[in-house]
Amino acid sequence: MKILLCCAAGMSTSLLVTKMEKAAQERGLEAKIWAVSVDEVSRHLDEADVLLVGPQVRYKLPQFRQEAAAKGIPCELISPTDYGMVNGAKVLEQALSMMK
Amino acid sequence: MGGRGVNAFISFLENRFMPVAGRIAEQKHLQAVRDGIILALPLLIIGSLFLILGFLPIPGYNEFMAGVFGEKWLSKLLYPVNATFDIMAIIVSFGVAYRLAEKYKVDPLASGAISLAAFLLATPYVVKFTPEGATEAVDVGGAIPVALMGSQGLFVAMILALLSTEIYRKIIQKNIVIKLPDGVPPSVARSFVALIPAFFVILTVWLIRMIIEVTPFESVHNIVSKILASPLNALGGTLIGAIVAVILVHLLWSAGIHGAAIVGGVMGPIWLSLMDQNRIAFQAGQEPPNVITQQFFDLWIYAGGSGATLAMVILMLTIAKSEQMKSIGRVSIAPGLFNINEPVTFGMPVVMNPILIIPFILAPVVLVIVTYLAMASGLVAKPSGIAVPWTTPPIISGYLATGGKISGSILQLINFFISMAIYYPFFRMWDQQKFAEEKGDSASLSA
Repeated sequence: MKILLCCAAGMSTSLLVTKMEKAAQERGLEAKIWAVSVDEVSRHLDEADVLLVGPQVRYKLPQFRQEAAAKGIPCELISPTDYGMVNGAKVLEQALSMMK
Repeated sequence: MGGRGVNAFISFLENRFMPVAGRIAEQKHLQAVRDGIILALPLLIIGSLFLILGFLPIPGYNEFMAGVFGEKWLSKLLYPVNATFDIMAIIVSFGVAYRLAEKYKVDPLASGAISLAAFLLATPYVVKFTPEGATEAVDVGGAIPVALMGSQGLFVAMILALLSTEIYRKIIQKNIVIKLPDGVPPSVARSFVALIPAFFVILTVWLIRMIIEVTPFESVHNIVSKILASPLNALGGTLIGAIVAVILVHLLWSAGIHGAAIVGGVMGPIWLSLMDQNRIAFQAGQEPPNVITQQFFDLWIYAGGSGATLAMVILMLTIAKSEQMKSIGRVSIAPGLFNINEPVTFGMPVVMNPILIIPFILAPVVLVIVTYLAMASGLVAKPSGIAVPWTTPPIISGYLATGGKISGSILQLINFFISMAIYYPFFRMWDQQKFAEEKGDSASLSA
């Protein structure tokens, strides 16, 4: 599965990526997880199975939802609490539940 | 402690402030300007590297370099500065048009190229030259004035990028294009599609230039500078302007929205111009004219991220009683040193937190005032226009951004303790609340 994350510059979400990769490994999941900045999302969207948006750029959510829906890709806001605690396992869970 | 007032404030943030902020953040042209400027930033950072090497504050450095590389070492070393800082308007002209075209879903590459042509069309190919022995400068034709390709041309580049892309996409969307018969290769057809809109862009800018040339302003650059760029720069460079900007950034963050990204969309070009004025002065060996630049905020105000939260992270690691605060501190310290603080804003959280929003807004405002006064009075060196990336850790960044003045680092240290003092009482209150919750929780869990 391929999980795309985004925030303003792609920096703080890259922190979350590392934690999510670890969580995926522990569960024995093969996953490609990566973070980009908001203006790069459209270019990466085709490669993704789900799109997760950082809470600090939630004003972008309607636009991303539309873009993602056109490609049949689910798109959600990352829960602010899990985002803040850099809770990789929880966010991975969220991504998995979106794919069902 | 005035719980109702604070709750009213939170609901104001959520229900009134956020929708407006969201609409501003969504505004296509502002987004295009911000994203287009981002295209120039890596180049400015690379140029800065050479700038730093050119002006290392080591005794005997100049003599050493001249001895090894010859008398002209400095101007040679600064070649990359000429090709980065001095062409930022060209990059921005292309980048803004490209990003706006992307949003309208029209050909970004063609829009970028047309915008660049429009920008140069508005620029007289004349430079001032003072021949040896002469007292008055003469106009020399046939040369693109480099001065207008840098920060001085930034506003013209941005405005024409927006204008030309608007004309371009309106004509495309109205379907006034040359249609070629089937069988013509698509790439050939595409090259013709750009023709009519591009013609109208060039025609419009040409007419604008013709009209302005008969006015006392003489050129598009002069008129934009006099009625737009100079007043905006003057406003953006004041203490009041900086305080208003910082309050807005932190109100937005308090509502959980990336404030710097939104306010930066509006203020970015202004702070960039002010930064470059300092760079030009610094390079000429003069005192930088402006206190407020992009680096003023990035490096002296936002230590640890927006809100100057690095000091609070240190409090979490040293005096926190609650396990939750201790663990947030551990998660936050490494990104915090590089001025990234989402674990603090969303994890602690500061966002929508009536206790912590107070110091989160207050600390940066106090730091703006202290930093401004320290630099304006000459006590501390002003930022020298070196584009130090905002992710550079404090102390180091203050030294580099002032062109190697230790006073820049010392002020960062002082600012750190000021923000710590401001955060302390509020942090204690929040930590105690969390600690009490945890005790209650564990009691109920073990029961």
